[in-house]
Amino acid sequence: MKITPIIGLEVHVELKTKSKMFCSCDAEHFHVDPNTHTCPTCLGLPGALPVPNKTACEWCIKLGLALGCTPNESSFFERKNYFYPDLAKGYQLTQYEKPFVINGKIKIGDQEIRINRAHMEEDTGKSVHIIKNNEELTLIDYNRCGVPLVEIVSEPDLTSAQMAKDYLLKIQQIIRYLGISDADIEKGSMRCEPTINLKIEDGDQTFYTPLAEIKNVASLTGVLNAVDYEINRQTEEFQKTKETKSKTNKTTRGWDAQKNQTFLQREKEGSSDYRYFPEPDIPHIEFTKAEIEAIRATISELPDEKIARYKTDFGLSDYDANLIAQDIQLAQVFEHVIEIFKNKEDIKLFVNLFNGEFRNEDINIDKIKPENCLKIVTAQNESLLSSTSAKIVFTESYRTGEDPIEIAKKQGLIQVSDSSQIEKIAKEVIDNNPKAVQDYLKNPNSVGFLVGQLMKASNGSANPQLAKEILEKLLK
Amino acid sequence: MDLKSLTIKQIQELLFSKKITATQIVNFYLNRISEIDPKIKAFITITDKVALKQAEILDAKIKKGESVGKLAGAVMAVKDIFLTKDIQTTSSSQVLNGYIPQYSSTIYQKLIDQDAIIIGKTNTDPFAFGGSTENSGYFTTKNPWNLSKVPGGSSGGSAAAVAADLCQFALGTDTGGSIRQPASMCGVSGLKTTYGLNSRFGITAMASSFDCPGVFAKNIEDLALVTQITAGLDEKDATTVDLSVPDYSKLLESVDLKGLKIGLPKEYFSDPINPEVKEKVMTAAKEFEKRGAILVDISLPSTNLGIAVYYVLVPSEISANMARYDGIRFGQNTTDNKDITSYYMNTRGKYMEAEVKRRIIIGTYALSSGYYDAYYTKASKVRTLIKKEFTEALKNVDIILAPVSPTTAWDIGAKSNDPLQMYLSDAFTVCVNVAGIPSVALPCAFDSQKLPIDFQLIGNFFEESKILSVAHQYQQFTSFHKEEPKL
Repeated sequence: MKITPIIGLEVHVELKTKSKMFCSCDAEHFHVDPNTHTCPTCLGLPGALPVPNKTACEWCIKLGLALGCTPNESSFFERKNYFYPDLAKGYQLTQYEKPFVINGKIKIGDQEIRINRAHMEEDTGKSVHIIKNNEELTLIDYNRCGVPLVEIVSEPDLTSAQMAKDYLLKIQQIIRYLGISDADIEKGSMRCEPTINLKIEDGDQTFYTPLAEIKNVASLTGVLNAVDYEINRQTEEFQKTKETKSKTNKTTRGWDAQKNQTFLQREKEGSSDYRYFPEPDIPHIEFTKAEIEAIRATISELPDEKIARYKTDFGLSDYDANLIAQDIQLAQVFEHVIEIFKNKEDIKLFVNLFNGEFRNEDINIDKIKPENCLKIVTAQNESLLSSTSAKIVFTESYRTGEDPIEIAKKQGLIQVSDSSQIEKIAKEVIDNNPKAVQDYLKNPNSVGFLVGQLMKASNGSANPQLAKEILEKLLK
Repeated sequence: MDLKSLTIKQIQELLFSKKITATQIVNFYLNRISEIDPKIKAFITITDKVALKQAEILDAKIKKGESVGKLAGAVMAVKDIFLTKDIQTTSSSQVLNGYIPQYSSTIYQKLIDQDAIIIGKTNTDPFAFGGSTENSGYFTTKNPWNLSKVPGGSSGGSAAAVAADLCQFALGTDTGGSIRQPASMCGVSGLKTTYGLNSRFGITAMASSFDCPGVFAKNIEDLALVTQITAGLDEKDATTVDLSVPDYSKLLESVDLKGLKIGLPKEYFSDPINPEVKEKVMTAAKEFEKRGAILVDISLPSTNLGIAVYYVLVPSEISANMARYDGIRFGQNTTDNKDITSYYMNTRGKYMEAEVKRRIIIGTYALSSGYYDAYYTKASKVRTLIKKEFTEALKNVDIILAPVSPTTAWDIGAKSNDPLQMYLSDAFTVCVNVAGIPSVALPCAFDSQKLPIDFQLIGNFFEESKILSVAHQYQQFTSFHKEEPKL
């Protein structure tokens, strides 16, 4: 029996526009007093009307273009009708028939994942359930109501939990590159709903298990675990019931991160009817070709392009280029520093520092001093700093802002490249380690131990290459 | 001083020459309302305190010689679906009984900013769903010409208030004829503007792609004056159009009746029209002919589909527009509900009027999966067709003249158990809404029972100045608009 998971992802991203999607209220809703960022429109008061946020529409198109999508010539909003207390109007404004952009694709490794669409919609309010005076109460905060959301819908091209995670990371990376959202899964500014079923091939028979959409996945690990859990559950379920996919048996399942399992939320998802129809309060929206191109022009270098450039221009390895380009802010710091670098070799040396333990620091473009970075690399070239010392000095100079050479001097990290000095120490090492000398004479490959002893004796300040050469010379 | 029958212009002359004060004007109307309105019941709320306060401020301005707004001293009645900050707005539905809005509709605010004075909020069918005010969740308004007759609707309260001279002008909305039809039944002038000319912001929505706010007045001159203020782009209504608003008052004489091609669509002069209405409207057309206009027989073949299209698309939009009336953030609500679903059902079940529920159900059905294409999509296509027929017809004629209502006002209760009959009374008004073009209704006759009859002049998109000019000239050689009911 061969089992292939079929996974599609719906990703919701909250845009960080100043104002909400259909009114001029402040779109910020984190740590804001409840119901303070509201107005007649986002509260759904009688007579209030929506006016679309132009920036949000442009950002949705921008994201679509970055995902390789094609813009629809004419687009419009629709009303999606359902009742819920945090949905003020009793319908959500979204795009169903004509989303802003369609038919894109992104690459995960050498796999291509097709994007069905990216469309614009509005977020709902938040229901807060509390118990007060032994009474269960539901309070509603409408601050989030009407915050712009882009929904990115993939085709079901993903075949494993890891691939789903990689896809999410890639989407997140692109969104952050575009600067249109924090895309923070933990904070809820990026949300993900995987839909999963299995293709089961048994002999010459092929079965498809019922679709399950998973809600409330609030972390990357959650996505990984939830998808894995669901694959196993559906496999077992199929073995028990042999139930296969039909038009009406799609279910919605919640993810319980504590119990590490999914649970049934709603059955017969296929039968819900949202009665979509064109939103009459907003005229159709058309972007001319020139306007689309103007939006395209605002897209700065995307991750894949950046990685390719790092590799060709600086000769970085795939690993190093990826590590830097992973996070746009990190890449910006890197590029800010190497602006003053003159050659590839220096840049490579710097990359070794940058991609090392330094990544644990709180890396800030305003804090890093390119001239200090260059000084360290130059000192390495002049054999004044060993690669180990360079790393220590780099971190310290970043933290304190002090001159790296001063730090190296203070900490005695300046490398000794004076042959006579090293020779003096080398002689002492030879005298103190007769056994190791014997070993060396039998096996010249064991010189490492003696070099180590020399480095120790010099408090790490000896140039290790020179130390090795001198030791070998003396023991000839 | 007796201010009865005075138009806005006339009353402003008295005010600016200091022969009367704004306070005297307000008191005149308040007295008339307390005397006459108990018989007519045009008003749900009388805003006496607000009106007197406005008058006091205006009088102070005039006394100090400060500049005043273009509608200073003009007393208006406002259909109760326009939100008025701090003044109860019910939409004539029990759902909103006691609702005090935190903000005002754009048009109302624009008029207030020009020193118009609000005298009260008028009765309508709930959320403007109806054609007689009989569906109101409060009471039925009576026709000032005959108290046993309906005033028409939905803006029946506003039409009756103008006809009974309880105000100088009134605000209404026309979604399928709700300004023109009550104007006809009450014998006043009313303008349904092009969709997108007047802002809908702050007016409880009926059918968003149809709703057209507009004005009732005693004559066309006043309609032009008020429309001048209400019209224009509103940043809060994405469907309003950015254009420079013409000076309607200055353009009232602009159209030359000589050689003016007036189209008479045959579909509007046939079934279900009452013969007397037909004859009187034809007489009005002949008056233009006498003055050099050319009457052209035209055909708008899809007219009979208007009602069907209207009663698919309008309830569809209504079904969504009414969803916000859930009793959670505003309005009346029920208590002791076992869960959120019963909260919704009990609140909406108890406080929504029968016609409101009927339209929600029709619309929900029409939008349901499996029916959407057969109803909504098809109706949308016919809508395009109807629009095209009008624009094609208006290439060959300058203006279209037609009756407003197939009949004059009917007896209260005569149609209230037959919603289909009620819907058919919109037969000659809905197509204009389906197309989104402007139309002005104005009095041209009385029937044998002394009930008023209006006709309508229909123009192309944003041709308000043209239809107002032709209508105004008609009022220069007729005096039906000056006739008043005996109360």
